[in-house]
Order: sequence, then C-alpha cells, then structure tokens
Amino acid sequence: MSGQGDAVIEVDGVVTRFGTQTVHDGLSLQVRRGELVALIGGSGSGKSVLLREILGLQRPNAGSVRLLGTDMWNSSDEALAATRKRFGMMFQEGALFSSLDVAGNVATPLLEHTDTPPKLLPRLVNLRLTLAGLSADVGAKMPAQLSGGMKKRAALARALALEPEVLFLDEPTSGLDPITARAFDQLLAFLNRDLGLTVLMVTHDLDTLLSIARRIVVLGRGTVIADGTADEVMAVEDPWIQSYFSSRHTVTPATDPGRTALADGA
Amino acid sequence: MADEQRSCWTEEHDGQVLLHLGGAWRLDALRDLSQQLGKALQSQRAPQAIDGTALQEIDTAAALLLLDSLAAAGSDPATLALHHFDPRHGRVFEVVRGRFAETAVQAPRHKLTPIARVGQISAGVGTLLLGHVEFFGRTLVELSRVLLRPHTLRVHELFAQLGQVGVNAIPVVALVTFLIGVVMAYMLGLQAEKYGANIFVVDGVALGITREFSPLIVATIMAGRSGAAFTAQLGTMKLTEEIDAIRTLGLSAPQVLVVPRVLALVLTLPLLVFVGNVAGLAGAMVMSNLTLDITPQTFMERLHVALAPRHYVIGLGKSPVFALFIAIIGCRMGLSVSRDTRSIGINTTSTVVQGIVAVILLDAMFAVIFQELDL
Repeated sequence: MSGQGDAVIEVDGVVTRFGTQTVHDGLSLQVRRGELVALIGGSGSGKSVLLREILGLQRPNAGSVRLLGTDMWNSSDEALAATRKRFGMMFQEGALFSSLDVAGNVATPLLEHTDTPPKLLPRLVNLRLTLAGLSADVGAKMPAQLSGGMKKRAALARALALEPEVLFLDEPTSGLDPITARAFDQLLAFLNRDLGLTVLMVTHDLDTLLSIARRIVVLGRGTVIADGTADEVMAVEDPWIQSYFSSRHTVTPATDPGRTALADGA
Repeated sequence: MADEQRSCWTEEHDGQVLLHLGGAWRLDALRDLSQQLGKALQSQRAPQAIDGTALQEIDTAAALLLLDSLAAAGSDPATLALHHFDPRHGRVFEVVRGRFAETAVQAPRHKLTPIARVGQISAGVGTLLLGHVEFFGRTLVELSRVLLRPHTLRVHELFAQLGQVGVNAIPVVALVTFLIGVVMAYMLGLQAEKYGANIFVVDGVALGITREFSPLIVATIMAGRSGAAFTAQLGTMKLTEEIDAIRTLGLSAPQVLVVPRVLALVLTLPLLVFVGNVAGLAGAMVMSNLTLDITPQTFMERLHVALAPRHYVIGLGKSPVFALFIAIIGCRMGLSVSRDTRSIGINTTSTVVQGIVAVILLDAMFAVIFQELDL
C-alpha cells in the first residue's frame, strides 16, 4: 500500500546526556521502509539508549524522533497509542510476562488491541509461534521453562502479534549458540523479505552483520561514524571499526589484553 | 475507500467456484472480514481458487482467517489456486499456507480436578514444612559452628543487618505500640469508669501490653518487615546467581547469609519489644491522663504495684523464639526461590503469611504452657 523508500524512522539531531557524560551529540539517522538495518558501536556508545528513544521509552535531551510519521516526544497520547500498535519490540532478555504462559504472552496484544474472532485466536497465536520458529505446542509452557533461544523466539512471536510494520530487536542473537543464532538470522531475513517488515536491530554478532544486514550503522563519539553496506563500513578509516571487523582474525595474546581493551573502549 | 468496497464475493465459472478478494485484508478488520466471508461462502459450494485482482493488502492474520474459513467450508487449503495475486500478497499467503496445518495444534492443557488440586496443595504444604524442619536443623548446626569458632562470624554483615532489622524499625514499632496503648487505655477506661475503677486500667494495660500485645504486635510487624526483606534479598541473589557464586568461591551460603540474619533478628526482637513496651505504656499513660484523670505520677505508682516482673520477663522471653521462626522462614523462602522473577513475589507473600501464622501459633502454645505452669 505504501510506496517503498519512505522513511519510517527519522532521528534528527538527538542529544542525550547522563549527568556530565554526553552519549549522543546531535545524532541523525533515517531508516526507510523495507530496510534491514543493524546498529553497532562500542560499549557505552548509546545503541540501546537510541533504541529506547526511538520507541518512546526514554526522552532525549534535545532533537526529535519520528517513528512511522509520529513525533515520539511531541504527540498526543492517542497518536502515540496508535503508533505503538504498528511496531514490535523484542527485548534482550525477552521480557516475557512471567505470570502468563507463552500463548498468553502472544495473545495479550491481540486481546488488548484487536477484535480477533475468539475461534480464530488460538490459531493466530500458533501462527505467530510458527512464524517465530517455535512449534505450536510451546504455547502451553511458562516462560521460566524455556531455554534462552526459545525465550527470544517467544518474545519475537509476541512482537509480531499485531502485524507490525517495523520490528526492533535488542541483541537478538546474544547468548545463543552459533547454530541457533544463524537460524535466528535467517528468520529475520525471511520476515524482512517475505513479509516486508522493516527491521532495526542492535547487535554485536559479526555473522549477523555479514550475512543478513544490508545496511550497518556504526555509532561512536556521540554520532554516526559510518553508515552503509558491510563493505562500505569496513572501508571507513576508523580505529574502532577496523579493530571491530578484524577482531575475529586477531585473537592473539599480543599484549596485556586488559590494556588494549581499555585503549579501544571509545 | 477500502471500507466501501466489498471484501469478498464468489463467482461460478466453468463449474468451478472462484472467490474474489478486494480491499485491505488486515488484522484490525478481522471481525468484519470474518462476517463477510461467512456470508460469501454460505451460498456456494466450496471455492477451489482465489482471485486477488482487487486485493490491495493482506497480512498474515487475514490470510489465516481466509484459510481457516475456506477449510471450514470444505476447500482443501493445500490445493487452492491463486489467480492474479500481487507477488507480495502471494508471498504472505504462501507463508501462512505453509504453516496452516501446524496452527491447528492444540497444546494439551491438563486441568486438575478439585480433589486433585486439594491433594496437590496439601502435598505442597507438607513438603514446605518438612523443608522448614530440615533448614531449621541446618541453620542450628551452622549457628553452633559459628559459636564454636567465633572468628567465622560475618561481623560486618551482622552489623549491617542489626541496623536494618533493628535500628530502622524503631520508629514504626514505637508508633504502632503507642497507638495500641492509647486504644487499650481508652477501651478499658470506658468500662472501668462505670464502676469507678479507673485506677485498675493501669493493671489491665500493664499486663496486656507487656505480656501479650507488645511481643505479638512487634513480632507481626517484623514478620512483615524483616521476614519479607530476607526473602526478597536472598531471592534476588538466588536469581542473579550470586548465591551460586558464593558457593563456587568456596564460601558457605548459610554462614555468610543466613547466620547473620537469624542472629540479627534474634538479638533485636527483644530490644524492639522493650521499645514497644515503653511506647505502649506511654500511650496508655497519655490517654489515662486525658480521659480518666489518672496523672502520670499516679500511673507510675500503680504500675509499680500492678506489674509483676514475671509478666514482663515472659513477654520479652517469647520474642527471641518468634524471631528465630520469622528469620528461618524468611531465609528459607528466599533461598528456595526458583529461577523466575514471579517466584520472588510469591515467596515473599508466603513468608509474610507463614511468619504471622507462626507467631500467633507460638504465642498460643506459650499461653497454654504458661497456664499449665501457673506463671
């Protein structure tokens, strides 16, 4: 219905400070419909904070954030509520409601925001679970009974419940074994390609970046220091980016690792 | 404009039934779509093909509704042909079609019969109490080890707990017992005044507060305040694997965490009961002065005569026993938190309930024992 290429996320001149520490210093970023974007950056570069600001969970000190055309920090409650139904967020640890079983978790947004015919609801919940790569019988389990990978998939199923146009993910593959992590990558690529979801994720997983991310945005020194395909980003002359992408080849105990880590931490 | 269009209609063509789709097929219109689909499929034989010429948009939820309704009408989802579908819409439809069979799976839900539930709950209570007994024993062993080797006592942790459990609780304990004293003097005074026996209010208040009310109420407050705190503290530590870390570092979790807490509560509860006695009697004294014309001086003189030391000692003497039970319940419930956040809340609630019940049960037992001993 909507044309390809219009911006769904517009971050403009965002400034974020915690006390005297400036995390974002006039950061701007645009994501267009249908993109699959990975956000990377060193510890403390404000990736997760930026994500929270886009979602409307944390107010930036200055600048504006527009998500699906809504100014997340300057709109009526109704407009914000309408926008919240149009994106899904997968939190790092899943953030599943521990008092509900998995099916209940997925059904919560459906019951709250849609008038799905009751007869169809169990099927729809099962469809969400299978879209997230879980088998339908996981629905009866409680979150505490799930492994880390299953928790993330269940959280993804809940994020997908309302047919979101934009999907946000915070470290989707952290804590997963490589095989599960690659399957998760494929799942995200499929959602992006076949269902047309716009995906923005914070990640540290080099394999994710190199296999499915068609655009990589690097945060550092309070702003975007590189933005483009993996090849374009790797070509940027920046010590942090260079050491980041070469880290998998240089696991040599050359110097005191504690000291190099300190020197690199931008 | 999509709303004015028909969302679906059927057409018979060469003996085949064709279902036409139109407009936007979206999750937020599911109920509407479901009704229209019901009407369209009612009059005809089951369609074998779907035409998407007029379809503007379809999402996975709407595709699922379509497949579900068609399957209910007698079509075979696997062989349905798609005509004139936009490739994007076709992909969404195929994604759902590929998973359609699996969505019918109903996870087995085993509901227990009421009798089975009663049994399960009783067995749960039994296991809980047995666990308490075992934990009680282990804690006593651990306490005696600390007594034999005093240098293993975590002095720092003990003092931190003494502060939290004891000093910080003084204001609330004093306030509550003061008010209890006021209320008791007032209620007794109302009755005693009728007989001109004002002065005996002091006897009643002194005995009631020091022997029963102050120990009972202070212990109840501490069951809510410190018992819950112990469970929440230890439960969070369990959840964040701090307790596992203590174990792997070769330290003893009971020695580091449980002994200081138990000792702190056992040492401070009698002191808090003393605070409660003073505050309660002060409350009664204020009230007696205001409503019963008993001056503080008369009150103190009568108190001296009326209050036998044994009542006072019995009241104080009960309190360490209450403290031991509250602390053991609090610590054990904290350490038995399972690895999910919800169980911290459940266990904390349980601690408070168990703590208060334990205190009242113990108090009743003491009452019977002292009665038999003529104390």
